[in-house]
Amino acid sequence: MSDNLNIRILKEKLFLICIGILTIATVFPLFHIMYSIIANGLPVLIKGGWSFLTGTLAPPGDGLGGIGPAIVGTFILTALASLIGLPVAVLTGIYAAEYPNSLIGRATRTLLMIMMEFPTILVGLFVMNLVVLPMGSYSAIAGALSLAIIMMPYVAVYTDEALKSIPPKYREGAFALGLTRAKVVFKVLIGLARKGIMTGVLIGIAKVAGETAPLLFTAGGASRVYFDGLNRPIGAIPLLIYNLVQQPYTNYHEIAWGASLLLMIIFLGLFLPIRLSLKEVKL
Amino acid sequence: MSKEERYIDTFKYFLLPFCLFVFGLFALMLAVYFSASIPIFQHEGIKIYTTNIWRASENPNKEFYGVLAAIYGSVYTSVLAILIALPLSVSFAVFVIDYAPQKVKEPLIVATDVMAGLPTIIYGIWGAFVLVPLLKKYVMDPLYAYLSFIPLFSFKPVTGYSYFSAGVLLGIMVTPFASAIIREAYRSLPFMYREAIYSLGATRYEATKILIKEIKPAIVAGLLLAFGRAIGETVAVSLVIGNTFNISPSLFAPGYTISSLIANQFGNAFIYKYMVSALFAAGLSLFFIGLAVNILGILILRRYGHVR
Repeated sequence: MSDNLNIRILKEKLFLICIGILTIATVFPLFHIMYSIIANGLPVLIKGGWSFLTGTLAPPGDGLGGIGPAIVGTFILTALASLIGLPVAVLTGIYAAEYPNSLIGRATRTLLMIMMEFPTILVGLFVMNLVVLPMGSYSAIAGALSLAIIMMPYVAVYTDEALKSIPPKYREGAFALGLTRAKVVFKVLIGLARKGIMTGVLIGIAKVAGETAPLLFTAGGASRVYFDGLNRPIGAIPLLIYNLVQQPYTNYHEIAWGASLLLMIIFLGLFLPIRLSLKEVKL
Repeated sequence: MSKEERYIDTFKYFLLPFCLFVFGLFALMLAVYFSASIPIFQHEGIKIYTTNIWRASENPNKEFYGVLAAIYGSVYTSVLAILIALPLSVSFAVFVIDYAPQKVKEPLIVATDVMAGLPTIIYGIWGAFVLVPLLKKYVMDPLYAYLSFIPLFSFKPVTGYSYFSAGVLLGIMVTPFASAIIREAYRSLPFMYREAIYSLGATRYEATKILIKEIKPAIVAGLLLAFGRAIGETVAVSLVIGNTFNISPSLFAPGYTISSLIANQFGNAFIYKYMVSALFAAGLSLFFIGLAVNILGILILRRYGHVR
């Protein structure tokens, strides 16, 4: 009997050690990634100095130059994508929250969840076919469109949930004042849900600022010219990293590490404040 | 209220177009993939999915494309990723909810959330420059040296870029995502269950075994959705898989995935008559695999009340 108990306790100990080790194994890569990016990227940023942020790409095998066009491109693409995607996303989210039991309301929720998981390269190829082919050139507007499609479901789902989490008494009170439904939503509920909606917007922005695949055949990339018009190719930090990693030149690899560190700082700067102010996030 | 005065919800009709726009966009996407694939289906029929030939030619009659290797590679690497994610994500969920000391609980969850959102290109550059050399030196080379008689390990890892590297990298990437779903389900188990189990004198190992059984559907759904993420991932995979048309059971052989095939070949596809169409057909297969897996995952979550 006591032998049996000993075996059970031994099993319990083994089990706890096992899942402890597996838990460490789950998060260990994050620290290894951060260490690698900082160890390889920081010297580049220090060596390149200010001009790494403002200059244009160096020739192969010759120095660091800068990644200015890619940084500017990422900001322009993200801003444009927000401009295009946010209105549709918020209004779709409102519909899903206001009419949750209608057929379209339920279908919308499902569709949004499917779009959240949809392979992003397919969105890029789709926009390429729709915008780039007729225009005859990669363009900033095509890149922004595909990012807008990717950002949209995040913002819509967060809007939906933020609205649904408002206690019903506010809605009832607003209706009791004789307001129309539009006024109830826009004057009362949106104000109450603004934190949740803002979270969705920021998560969406953090997500698309790091996207590469949907930009491959839409934005096209530009590393030596700054913004050149909406109908011209544009660079982005993730796109630049992807292209540089595949080159054989050592200085390009160094630039890629530097750009990765910058991208990681941008992502963490956006994501950590949101995450720490909330209990959980959907990604 | 008389019939004439019946309340019309104008707000609903104002919002509706935006909703329908999103549906329209999705339908249009499907239509574009179908219509762009038509030329290749007319050219070679279903062979595009059943053969492993990639013959680009100036002469359209000699062109022939089969993307079987890419489909095989996509499924192979994603299955590897899931096999890695299963033990990690379940252990993580259990440990964090039930056994982790209060102080490290929240930091651990924040760390996995950061991992789930981290730009995939960062995994890509880390994978290509750090992970692959490590895996080659400490895993692939020793396994090949001593166990190469087993077909799984029979390919000499020359560069290290392989199904195995891609699978491991994808596994690392999707584990936090799967574990977030499993964690939520595990957390939502009524506390009563735990009290009842412990009151019977169960050890923590035995209690966990019983509790895990309760959330099996959530585990399946989490892994399905993780599979969907893995199969759609592009840049990180394309930097570590080796990008070679190859169908091999060996873990250490280089290969292709659907998304990395598109990323690699699309740039120069327009010189040829059928290659663009062939790549859209490859995209169409990814479209359906992704859709099927994700819908199944979402349905399972809904069916068992774990709304996400």
